[in-house]
Amino acid sequence: MRRLFSGWPRTLWPTRDGWWCLGAALGLGFAAINTGNNLLYLLVSMLLGLVVVSGFLSEQSIRGLRVEPIEPGELFAGRPALLAARVVNRKRWRTSYSVTIEALDGSHRTYLPRLEAGGERLVTWQATAAARGRRRFPAFRIVTRFPFGLFVKAGQARPDVAMLVYPAIAPISDAERRALEGAGPSTVRRRGRGHELYNLRDYRSGDDPRLIHWRSSAKSGSLIVREREAEDAQDTRILLEGTGTRDADRLERGLSEAASLAVQLLRSGARVELLGRGVQVPLDGGPAQRRRILTALALYDARAAVLAPALPRGAPKPRAREIPVGLD
Amino acid sequence: MADATALRLATFLLALDGLAALHLAGLVGTGGALGVALIGTLAWRNEPLRDRLGAVPGLGRGVVVLAAAASALDLLYVAASVLDGFARLLVFLLLYRLVMRRVPRDLRDVAFLAFFMLVAAAPLTFGVGYLFVFLSFLVLGTWMLMLYHVATEAARTSGGLDGARAGTLGRDLLGLSLGASAATLAITAALFFVIPRVGQAALTLRGNVSRMISGFSDRVELGSFGEIETDATVVMRVQIPEESATDPERLPGLRWRGLALDRYDGRAWTSSRREHATTRRSSIGQFELAAFRGTGPIVVQEIYLEPFGADAIFAAPRVLSLGLRAASIVVDDMDGVSVPAAAARFRYVVHSELETGARGRLRPLADEARARYLQLPPLPARVGDLAREVAAGTRGPGEAARALTAHLAGGYRYTRALRRTTALDPVDEFLFVQRSGNCEYFAAALAVMLRSLDVPARVINGFQRGEWNPYGRYFMVRLLDAHSWVEAYVDGDWITLDPSPRAGTEPAGAPAEVALYLDALRVRWYRYVVNWSLQDQVLAALRIREATLAWKPRIPALADWQALPREIHLLLLLVALTAALLVWRRRPGAAAGAAAPLPPFYARALRVLARRGLAPGPGETAREFAARVRAVAPTCAEPFGNLTAAYERLRFGARPPAPPEQSTLDESVLKLRSHMASLSGHLR
Repeated sequence: MRRLFSGWPRTLWPTRDGWWCLGAALGLGFAAINTGNNLLYLLVSMLLGLVVVSGFLSEQSIRGLRVEPIEPGELFAGRPALLAARVVNRKRWRTSYSVTIEALDGSHRTYLPRLEAGGERLVTWQATAAARGRRRFPAFRIVTRFPFGLFVKAGQARPDVAMLVYPAIAPISDAERRALEGAGPSTVRRRGRGHELYNLRDYRSGDDPRLIHWRSSAKSGSLIVREREAEDAQDTRILLEGTGTRDADRLERGLSEAASLAVQLLRSGARVELLGRGVQVPLDGGPAQRRRILTALALYDARAAVLAPALPRGAPKPRAREIPVGLD
Repeated sequence: MADATALRLATFLLALDGLAALHLAGLVGTGGALGVALIGTLAWRNEPLRDRLGAVPGLGRGVVVLAAAASALDLLYVAASVLDGFARLLVFLLLYRLVMRRVPRDLRDVAFLAFFMLVAAAPLTFGVGYLFVFLSFLVLGTWMLMLYHVATEAARTSGGLDGARAGTLGRDLLGLSLGASAATLAITAALFFVIPRVGQAALTLRGNVSRMISGFSDRVELGSFGEIETDATVVMRVQIPEESATDPERLPGLRWRGLALDRYDGRAWTSSRREHATTRRSSIGQFELAAFRGTGPIVVQEIYLEPFGADAIFAAPRVLSLGLRAASIVVDDMDGVSVPAAAARFRYVVHSELETGARGRLRPLADEARARYLQLPPLPARVGDLAREVAAGTRGPGEAARALTAHLAGGYRYTRALRRTTALDPVDEFLFVQRSGNCEYFAAALAVMLRSLDVPARVINGFQRGEWNPYGRYFMVRLLDAHSWVEAYVDGDWITLDPSPRAGTEPAGAPAEVALYLDALRVRWYRYVVNWSLQDQVLAALRIREATLAWKPRIPALADWQALPREIHLLLLLVALTAALLVWRRRPGAAAGAAAPLPPFYARALRVLARRGLAPGPGETAREFAARVRAVAPTCAEPFGNLTAAYERLRFGARPPAPPEQSTLDESVLKLRSHMASLSGHLR
């Protein structure tokens, strides 16, 4: 997490009411000079005093505010995600009033009427990354019109936080799902959460009552529960064919397809290997492998892949299969 | 008070403040101002009426078109000046906004209109009442602008804020607006005194001032009867600067000369003054009127004259020079000074050489002038006989004049209750029948008797010295101080003679200290705000420079702090106390001590638990306390858990419960109470 300090440059601009106020001060100043009337000078001074106090209070309101972006979890291209930042008032004594956090693109704004000294608020907003790859945390503005709504004081914050956007995950079609499941998970002789019976044993406190084998329990006169075998999905190699330099759209579709397959397979417990020109993620399973494969696909660079040496393509492991995904 | 209500209240008070400004300037009469305020109040409170009016198609547009036409006609044909028409237009727009108010922006418009009312009033009022209108506007305006800002920001953030959440700022905004008002006032004062006064008063929006005090006349009418009313209105304030060498309270026969009356027709004294010269300003910005003779002390007078019926300048005789904001003045042949522009008469500085009885340069009176000051209508012979009888045995006209003065002062009674019992000439009746009258009778009688002795004389209208105000160190001259006396040409010079024994008949009772203090405040307002000029700015800068230069060599001596003036000690003490207060308020833990009050639902729950001995321990958080309650009273866990969660949302998330949730919380408190009632004993 990186912190944004409050030293960001400010901009100051009158609102419509502020222009009215300045125009009135100018007109009254002209009238005061021409009439020599001191009460008009008094009113001009009051308007100018309001402008000065407005500048001071708005600065007090915005000073000492820090915005700390919170790194998002998984982001997929084209899919809305929740981004968050923590707004902290670092001042010791002074409360900040009427501060608005705005996304630069105007898609979202959050109004904080009051942020007491030392307090913090979590600000969240929805954002959608258009494409995969490394992206900067979205820029936003801290804006205040406090106290009189005559001037807008704003600071633009560009967080130095990188986000990794994975390729878009497309839903797997029924045919593809059946094809994947057609390979069927194989079982291994160890205790697990599969469907095949591994063993019967006496019931112990904490066992799931649904696993009680009633027929055996009736025979033995004590509660007997089932133990199941672990299932072992089929190992899969996703093979990226081509480099994707010919057609950028085709490349993105291919990477999205590869990511979707990998996510589906890993979810079903399979181990997955990713292999392509300039990219290789050895066979493995679990959430870490999911992250490795999605990262590799997110950072895939077609131009670098052309220059990369062709990887030796060994035969898949026994009982493993290979799914080719075309990038060109 | 919810922010929305506070916003409406502040806006309405601003509107009243604007009306008060117009009233102060005489642009709206008392009845008109009260009527407008009443209509505004009724429209403000009557929501259904406003809704019905708003629902009438085209009503608003039609009213605006009609008002525009009426306003144009008013400005072109009816209004006495542009400002009068402008003020009426402002009042209409204010009422229109109050009655047809639909969106928050209308509230802002009301505030702007109130501001323009203050602008409209500025050229037409000098009174200290404007200070209070101005201060009220400053405080109410900052409060209203803050409330309006928060309301519009909450509305701007669609869905991000509910009204209740914005409403939590109310108390903060009130305190902030008071602080902002004080800061704005300080900056306003600094800017006001510093902005160079380079104006040339070329634009006059309305010539006449709004309020003219009547009661002073440029003629002395004799023969009326009845009780003369005493009006305590202050018409003039005469400040004697400390540089003036003489103690102002001991100055001999101080009075403020105004008009000279030279013509008597048997019933009234009038002035046949002829313009002597239109005098222009000298190179040093003063009007030089006479040369210094060296026969009396010079007294500098800084005079503030309320808007007056006469265009005369009042000052202690003999005027040597006059300083005021006018290009030219008119001096007549009876040493009277007049200035046509009322604004220029408002403040002026006069240097006078007082009479002490010493003789100046002897100057014979021309025959034509002599005949003018000896003019008399046909009078009963006994008037002249009396004069000769009193003056018998005196040597010269000077002694005769003083003998006549003493005769009137000693043998006649001063009274404000005038009576007529005969059809005689007024002076004749005064001298031989009534033997009492007011100062006009005394002066008229003396002048007539002097003229009958062939001594040129004229009646002078002006004011007595007035009452000394110790707070502002000036004389307060009231309308009841209006006075008449006589000037007689004796031995080549005009001398002052005052025959009326007025001192014993003045109304008893000094004004209250508060009244004196407030009047001093008024003078300061005149002096430092209404009449602040480029000359004052230069003088202030020079004084600051002098003070700096004077203090510079004294800085090493500051080590001996005990020798410093008492005021400096008090100032340092005040600064130290303020600093200590600030440090104490901001000490570590002060914020925790000043934590926000508990929300009512949570406070009720804590009271229920406390009855059974369950109370949060020192340093125990709400969640830890909830866990303890769950452990000792499991049945209370669910309702108290809900209450704790709502309390945390409010305390740390600034999110008050919505109305549906509020009823759920009330139910939780009831559940908690019933569960606790079913338990017995103390639960520690």
